[in-house]
Amino acid sequence: MSSNQAFSALQVGVLWRRLNALMDETAQTFVRTSFSSVVRDNWDLAVSLMDSQGRMFAQSSRSVPSFIGTMPRTLAAMLLRYPAETLQPGDVLVSNDGYIGTGHLNDITMVRPIHRNGRLIAFVGSVFHSVDIGGAPSIDARDSFAEGLTIPVAKIVRAGVENEDVVAFLTENLRAPDETLGDIRAQFAAYGLCITRLLKMLDAEGIDDLDRFVGEILDRSEASMRRSIVAIPDGVYGDSLLVDGFEEPLRIQCEIRVTGDSLTVDFAGTSPQIDRPINSVLNFTTAYSAYAIKCALDPTVPNNDGCFRPVTITAPEGSLLNPRRPAPIWGRHLSGHYLPAVIFSALAERLPGRVIADCGSPIWNVYFAGRLRSGRRFVKMFFMNGGHGARPAEDGPSCLSFPSNIATVPIEQFENSVPLLITEKALIPDSGGAGQYRGGLAQRVSFRVTAESPVQMTIRHERVRFPPRGLLGGMPGRAGRDYVNGKLVAAKARIDLAPGDDVTFETPGGGGYGPPAARDPALIATDLREGLVTAAGVAASYPAVLPRVVSDV
Amino acid sequence: MSERYRIGVDIGGTFTDLVMLDTGTGRLYNDKVLTTPRDPSVGVLEGIGRILAANGVSASEVEHVIHGTTLVANAVIERRGSTVALITTRGFGDVLQIGTEWRYDTYDLFMKLPEPLVPRHLRLEVTERVGPDGRILEPLDEADVVRVARQIASGGVATVAVSLLHSFRNPAHERRIREILAREAPEVAVCLSSDVMPEIGEYERASTTVCNAYVLPVFKHYLRRLTDGLRRIGVRKDLYLMLSDGGTVHESTAAAYPVRLVQSGPAGGVQAISAIGRVAGESNLLCFDMGGTTAKACLVDDGQPLRTTEFEVARVYRFKKGSGLPLRVPVIEMIEIGAGGGSIARVDHLGLVQIGPESSSADPGPACYGRGGRDATVTDADLVLGYLSADSFLGGDMRLDVAAAQDALHRAVGAPLGLSVIDAAWAIHETVNENMAQAASIHALEKAKRLSDYVMVPIGGAGPVHACNIALKLGLPRVLCPLGAGVASALGFLVAPVAFTLVQGGVVPLDELDRVALRASLADMQRKGLEMVQAAGAAPGEATVAYVAAMRYVGQGYDIDVLVDAQALAEEDGHSLRAAFDAAYLAQFNRIEAGMPVEIVSWRVTVSGADPGVDLVAGRPLAAHGDARRGSRKVYFGPRSGFVDAPVYDRYRLAPGSRFEGPAVFEERESTTVVPPGAVAQIDAALNLVVELPIEAAEGLQS
Repeated sequence: MSSNQAFSALQVGVLWRRLNALMDETAQTFVRTSFSSVVRDNWDLAVSLMDSQGRMFAQSSRSVPSFIGTMPRTLAAMLLRYPAETLQPGDVLVSNDGYIGTGHLNDITMVRPIHRNGRLIAFVGSVFHSVDIGGAPSIDARDSFAEGLTIPVAKIVRAGVENEDVVAFLTENLRAPDETLGDIRAQFAAYGLCITRLLKMLDAEGIDDLDRFVGEILDRSEASMRRSIVAIPDGVYGDSLLVDGFEEPLRIQCEIRVTGDSLTVDFAGTSPQIDRPINSVLNFTTAYSAYAIKCALDPTVPNNDGCFRPVTITAPEGSLLNPRRPAPIWGRHLSGHYLPAVIFSALAERLPGRVIADCGSPIWNVYFAGRLRSGRRFVKMFFMNGGHGARPAEDGPSCLSFPSNIATVPIEQFENSVPLLITEKALIPDSGGAGQYRGGLAQRVSFRVTAESPVQMTIRHERVRFPPRGLLGGMPGRAGRDYVNGKLVAAKARIDLAPGDDVTFETPGGGGYGPPAARDPALIATDLREGLVTAAGVAASYPAVLPRVVSDV
Repeated sequence: MSERYRIGVDIGGTFTDLVMLDTGTGRLYNDKVLTTPRDPSVGVLEGIGRILAANGVSASEVEHVIHGTTLVANAVIERRGSTVALITTRGFGDVLQIGTEWRYDTYDLFMKLPEPLVPRHLRLEVTERVGPDGRILEPLDEADVVRVARQIASGGVATVAVSLLHSFRNPAHERRIREILAREAPEVAVCLSSDVMPEIGEYERASTTVCNAYVLPVFKHYLRRLTDGLRRIGVRKDLYLMLSDGGTVHESTAAAYPVRLVQSGPAGGVQAISAIGRVAGESNLLCFDMGGTTAKACLVDDGQPLRTTEFEVARVYRFKKGSGLPLRVPVIEMIEIGAGGGSIARVDHLGLVQIGPESSSADPGPACYGRGGRDATVTDADLVLGYLSADSFLGGDMRLDVAAAQDALHRAVGAPLGLSVIDAAWAIHETVNENMAQAASIHALEKAKRLSDYVMVPIGGAGPVHACNIALKLGLPRVLCPLGAGVASALGFLVAPVAFTLVQGGVVPLDELDRVALRASLADMQRKGLEMVQAAGAAPGEATVAYVAAMRYVGQGYDIDVLVDAQALAEEDGHSLRAAFDAAYLAQFNRIEAGMPVEIVSWRVTVSGADPGVDLVAGRPLAAHGDARRGSRKVYFGPRSGFVDAPVYDRYRLAPGSRFEGPAVFEERESTTVVPPGAVAQIDAALNLVVELPIEAAEGLQS
């Protein structure tokens, strides 16, 4: 078939689905043979296909939003070092440079070129989270050098042969090299499957020019996004919010400029970068901004570069959302997870039916490190989500992960693996922001140290100073709190716990949507009967309906 | 030999299917009656009366009635269960609502979560605590239990679910609560999580226990009506039911664990296909059941359907994993795809053909039904392409309207994309086949299976119509189409042995395994299982026992099933258990980690009676004789070949040994098998139509 071939809607539909399914199969192959639980259980990974021009056109569907759109940028940076025309079949490029990758060193990106009849036609790439990356990441890190090993852009495989120098560097610098290298090699096998199937698919469908076909996918996705943007009146919509930060609060300033069928998200006015590990590199800023735009405007199109052609995302260099090297970046989610919230609130007046109030995020987690009774060391992470923001026609769900998507670990599994007991995991009444629609409730999770030796705890929590905001008249959710033995402690801290100590976390509640006065009294009565709000809470938030509701219940 | 008839009954959405087996002659009889949704037992009794009368059999000659039902799943989906209270460890009553905290849809800001079956004010907490090793850390506060029990007794609660932390390791507190409830609230039924599903995972265990409690009264009531009715019409023997994992149990077992019947009907279909495969000498099967609104696929390996204990019921979005209530029950593992004959086709905002998941219901149905339906469906496309015939649908009982189908296809897909009606129909046909092939392909990959080693067995009305095209896409060389696949589930109830699976969780590293305690625990499970299958009529000598350990490397989140032989259990060291795990892990993941410690997560003990030994060859005499050829019609096999003239045959008149070259069309009452050019079809001894596909020309998704 000639390279001017036109593609029928049937062919585009079938092959596009097949390419997306191929990415899911490639990811599945990786996960099935991976070693680490962060890959197996949390799917902290993404697999993508890019064409010969580096345009991403298919991505695995189960993923965390951190990886949206990062891979083409990483690939472009890699190709500066190893130009495309110098790549051999069977090469694999690698880097975990947070500034060209996904924003912290723990994410390792690899890309393998795909050749057909001697010509480079595409790239398959993947990114995954390695729990250990050497170094000593901590909330006290003052630069990214402390946060672990940076693998510069390198060839980890040369024409099908592993580069032993790169492997030796990794082996000597990582605490669990077998696990990380095991995950890396699992991806090599997945690439092999992906390439075989892709080439077979192109042959069977008679696709000579993949780039042209990719153009078709991207054009359709782009057109769909443009149609959604056109529906927003032209104008400039802005908002800002405050981040707890460390000693001083930090500001995230967001301006969205809509012009016809394109829009720009500009974070000018955001606080400068700080020498603490909560800076979000531009790729991470872009990923969470793009995610928010997609959720609000065009959530169903499979993720590819075409979706974001009409969208420009910028942040001033040297700011919290576009730091310069070597600012520390380990906890980049502590600023990046705020971006959907500020984008939604900026758009709320114009798109009231399409956005939600603030969620109780950035996600809360806690690391416990200590010794098992056997003497073996353990490090265990536990995730706790806050309340979800209220929606335009519905209360926010309680304790639901957003914008990251990380499940909790079952209590019984947790207690089976480490010497800590969970003594409570319960919804916090009155923690959801009041409104016509109520924010989702937060949770209280308490732990008791049952180890025989001290346990070191690391926490890095946000929304303690500034609670999740309500939208369009909705009230804020309850701020989060951290306690050790009943006493409030700092939300970003490393604390040594003694056997018998009790720790309690109260995650933030979701913001409300619309004015509380507009809430259906029947919903308030139900909430009161179910104990999701207290009588005192109703008195404070919905004073007008209190007598009636209380007498009903 | 007075009681020599066995009857299988499957209640579907529209029809209640019946299959009767004469154990004396091996002969099988089929029938169907309309389902009576308000009280399904009415339809069952009517159907049994009819199949007995039609064949001159007296009710006293019935040996077994074996039954499968969607009642349990429907009661949860439609929220028709009873009022349940949940008792938990203090501090954990909200676990049922908090769930996994995971979004099943990354991009949907408005995704809905299923409402828990127990509202918060009925989630009651008591002071007690069991540790992860089963030790009691805090004794049960009995005054607390009495207080809670009185609250329950006073307030309209029908059933109580009790789910305490780590109760699967030590059920003492749950059992004590049951005793106190029996005294303080004797009217309520009680379900203990340590009884219903003693496995690790507090949320899933509570959800399963609550669900069991929720459907228990409804199901018991239904069983009572049915058994009373059977006695009334003169059936003297007890009733048996099929569980979701394909085992059959006595009604008393089913009444205690109704949640185990959540996928009862489809399990029967897979059991039937497995039996049909065995007769045909095929043990690796891809069961493919395509009906009006959905398609289901299931893998059968070495004659055994793949099983799992993970299931979801009452999904908010039927085809979105994670949007339902999680259950931990032994089930046959199936994937469900939103693609059936009634699935609606449209052009989406990307300018592409989209099929389903919305479906035209039976009424008005696809446009070609001529009942006023205006949506273009897969069935409309199949009709226009010649896969279905306007004159012979449902044995000719229902004339299809070709013009209405063409009109709908033009409106929904042809006009928006500038395609002819034929091209629009082909786009729909190809897209739906592609969707199903991809779903099957991903499922096989998750299970580490090569689909080219499998034989596809299509059932359901639309299954045989689409099977060959899908098999070609998947690189499957052979398709085996059983006769009368419309009543497969009811047939499956007759061919499956009596069996019950017991589960016991408890995470133990292999090198800390207490073999004495383990053997005692397994012996106890085996004893309970034997009691159940013997109560269901199995002779003590013929029962077999299978042990499966769910094992993993320490620290992993996924476990794999390891079949363990009795020899390994008798050994004093862990070598053979480790070896069995290594072999299973190697088979699934193509590698092992020699140095990594291994742990056992749970045990499953399945006790089975003897195979009922139904003779599917003798049971299927030719239904009709004479010339099978019904003429021919034009069938469209893609733009390269266009419409091709294909001979049409009456499936009921095809004798064993007949051989045909594709293209060819084989019609039976409930379905049509379409064989493409280049393929060869033969009728085997059991009257299956076996299609050999020209696989070298196939563009299999799996290399």
